[in-house]
Amino acid sequence: MTVTTPNAAMSVAGRALFTLAPVTALAAVLWLLATQALPLTLSWVWIPALDIELAFRIDGLSALMLLMITGVGVAVFVYAGGYLSGHPDQKRAYLLLGLFMVAMIGCVTADHVLVLFVFWEGTSLLSFLLVGFYHERQESRRSAQQSLLVTGTGGLVLLAGFIVLGQTVGSYRLSEIIVLVPTMEVTPTLTLAMGLILVGAFTKSAQFPFHFWLPNAMAAPTPVSAYLHSATMVKLGVYLLARLDPAFGEWPLWVWLLKGVGSVTAAWGMVLALRERDLKRILAWSTVATLGTLVVLVGLRGESAALAVGALLLAHALYKAPLFFVAGNIDHGAGPRLIDRLGGLRRQMPWTAAAALLAAASLAGLPLSFGFVAKDVISEAKSVGEVFTFARMANTVFGTIAVAVAGITAVRVFWLRPPPGAVRQAHEGGAALVLPPLVLGLVGLVLGMFPLLAQDLLAGAAMAMSPAGAGTALTAPLDPQPDVGSLLLGLLFGATVFLLWDRLYRGLEWLAGRTGRIGMSSIYERTLAWIPRVAAGITRRAQNGSLPVYVAWVLASVAVPLATLLWLGRGQWTWPAAEMPSAGLAGAASLVILGAVFACLMRDRLVVLLSVGLIGYGSAVMFLFLGAPDVAYTQFTMETVFVIVAAAVLLKLRRMGLDRAVPEPAWRPGALALSLLVASVLTALLLAVYATPFDPVLSEFFGEQSVPAAYGRNVVNVILVDFRALDTLGEVAVVVLSLLAALPVLQAWRRRARTPVAGGRS
Amino acid sequence: MIWAVAAALWVSLASGVYLCLSRDVFRVALGLAVVGAGVNLALLASGRLGSVQPAVVPKGQPFLELASNPLPQALVLTAIVIGFALVCFSLALVLGLIRDAGTDDALELRAAEPVPGNDIKPPATDPAHEPEWPPEGRA
Repeated sequence: MTVTTPNAAMSVAGRALFTLAPVTALAAVLWLLATQALPLTLSWVWIPALDIELAFRIDGLSALMLLMITGVGVAVFVYAGGYLSGHPDQKRAYLLLGLFMVAMIGCVTADHVLVLFVFWEGTSLLSFLLVGFYHERQESRRSAQQSLLVTGTGGLVLLAGFIVLGQTVGSYRLSEIIVLVPTMEVTPTLTLAMGLILVGAFTKSAQFPFHFWLPNAMAAPTPVSAYLHSATMVKLGVYLLARLDPAFGEWPLWVWLLKGVGSVTAAWGMVLALRERDLKRILAWSTVATLGTLVVLVGLRGESAALAVGALLLAHALYKAPLFFVAGNIDHGAGPRLIDRLGGLRRQMPWTAAAALLAAASLAGLPLSFGFVAKDVISEAKSVGEVFTFARMANTVFGTIAVAVAGITAVRVFWLRPPPGAVRQAHEGGAALVLPPLVLGLVGLVLGMFPLLAQDLLAGAAMAMSPAGAGTALTAPLDPQPDVGSLLLGLLFGATVFLLWDRLYRGLEWLAGRTGRIGMSSIYERTLAWIPRVAAGITRRAQNGSLPVYVAWVLASVAVPLATLLWLGRGQWTWPAAEMPSAGLAGAASLVILGAVFACLMRDRLVVLLSVGLIGYGSAVMFLFLGAPDVAYTQFTMETVFVIVAAAVLLKLRRMGLDRAVPEPAWRPGALALSLLVASVLTALLLAVYATPFDPVLSEFFGEQSVPAAYGRNVVNVILVDFRALDTLGEVAVVVLSLLAALPVLQAWRRRARTPVAGGRS
Repeated sequence: MIWAVAAALWVSLASGVYLCLSRDVFRVALGLAVVGAGVNLALLASGRLGSVQPAVVPKGQPFLELASNPLPQALVLTAIVIGFALVCFSLALVLGLIRDAGTDDALELRAAEPVPGNDIKPPATDPAHEPEWPPEGRA
């Protein structure tokens, strides 16, 4: 009998069950494409008060993305079954991948921008969880944090952009926005919305200067890298730009930003690929470069550019995911992924080698591969549109280094002689590891040989990106003509880079050593380190363990806002009229003043206590002269008891050798300034209140009802013991409670009275 | 009249706050008492000062006329007693604190807080345990 625990390794049946999810989704998408006429719209009421509907719209572009999401999804689920086989958290990986697929499907079908945003942030969150899948490694945790901070922050910027856009345009539906925006004038608000949306899309698609997070996200398990960080999630930014291109496409700023940022990203990603030794990171930088090219293509005008976006999206999904699977097979079967320790693996891993060749041919754009078709469409798009020279150069660099990267992943690792110190032991993985890259590679080959199979799909996607009308570019059949000259030239340059790879690497390392750590990655690191430092600095200043400082913070945060309010409303309140006080009141007030001044000036504790007593007695006399004899008697009594209690405390302190005051400066200007501020604010508040009309209704009620209702003539006493008796009960309870609370403190004192206190002053 | 009360209030509040900002915990407790006395004055004055006749209904009269406002007086009476309880309790706390900490200097009470310049907050990072970053791959 077997006992299954939640973390036991999954059975084959369990894995197959999970894999059913993307298979079902793929079948549903295929059925949809085969039977339904696009675009398809669906909507449910969600938050009617805010006019938010769960609105979905599936057009050609969504259909292409859906096919990629579900198709690559099937391969990834099968592959994860082999790659994570025996991992205790394999179920978690399946669950997260499944949720991710749902979020992606929601993202590419949503028509309401806020619904799109919800799914968008969902993909960021799931990316965080999946990058941090190996959560016991600190490297994974930091990479996960970085990807979440960059894409999550970008998502919030995107939300701001969507809201500004929606409020300006008057609609939150993508399908309406792209119709309305071209009819509107270019205003600063609309430009702001565009800029914010661009930042969101650029962070998601790892465009410069937010490119640095993607290679670090390679800390994720390989199926995750293949799915999220190559085939689908990072394409969301491109997807959004392509969606909004009909809206902003006529703006020069949009076009220039897309072309400029995309070109820089493409060139930079390719150069940085040369600085890597880890296969997955090399592939990651080449993904960054492809994303840059896609952004440039979105920025290009013309229908052939739209067609090129679709073709490159599909081609990239079909070759980059298998290449990631190949890298995963290598670290699964051989151990390291560093190209310095790999070589001649074709004998031990023949099937993986075949898959690598298929995929790499497409990456290099060799004839008969789908990459070749995509390359042909791209060059057509660039010959139509007016492209900057820089973009064209970036494309050339991209082509060259793509060939070199293809050579590294498919030739160097599998066919070249192993370098000294290379791994000797390697083995091929099971069917689950070999089939996904092979099948995806073969699909690429079939589509490359018969490009007409993808014609309708790509034309549909291009129609969605340029809805103006179907021109000849979309209806013309995909029929790539091999341009032998440029093909050979590209291969030649690529082969040169491939052969010089190690030398270029050393050169770039030397250069990087010279330029030091400048760049976005170190800016990110510095910012991240700066936040806790600033927080610690503020904490040290505000919460530094000094009681006077705490008291000062509390008092200042009450007094300063009150002073500001009084100052702001200075025209609206008046000072009460001046009048001569009675001689008795003036004398009593001068008693209080005298006591207060003495209490501050005197050093001896007993004298300070007596001065405080003088304040209390002085105020009691004031009560007497203000017509409140009951209050005055209470004050006299309480003050007397208080002075006795405090004197007893002083006596105790004297026995401990602490009878002298703490030596501190007699004159503390900061404390004096703050105390004068607090006193002035509260006094001014009282005076301002005093000058306002008084509503005596409550006092009159007590005065009228005291005799008839309560049979008492001393109204103050009647209020205390009759009308507000419950308050008086509460007052008594407070006194009893404070006594009860003080009792244990004082009892503990008695118990420990024999142990002398260390460090008393004498 | 109000200006005399305001002057007494102003000086006693300033004095009380000044005492509360002292390093000497005994003075801080006394400062509370002084602030309390000042606030009681303010409370009484907020009911408006007019007649100085005590709020007592004379014999033979059905209701109060031309006397001081009784309501703030009742409130101040309660406040005086509660203020007294508060100050006595804080004196007991001060006593217990001095007994436990062995000092009456507020700047030396450091049981819960680090001294300035002490790097307890935030935890110091140990370079030996910092991971390789950015990750260069698993060798």
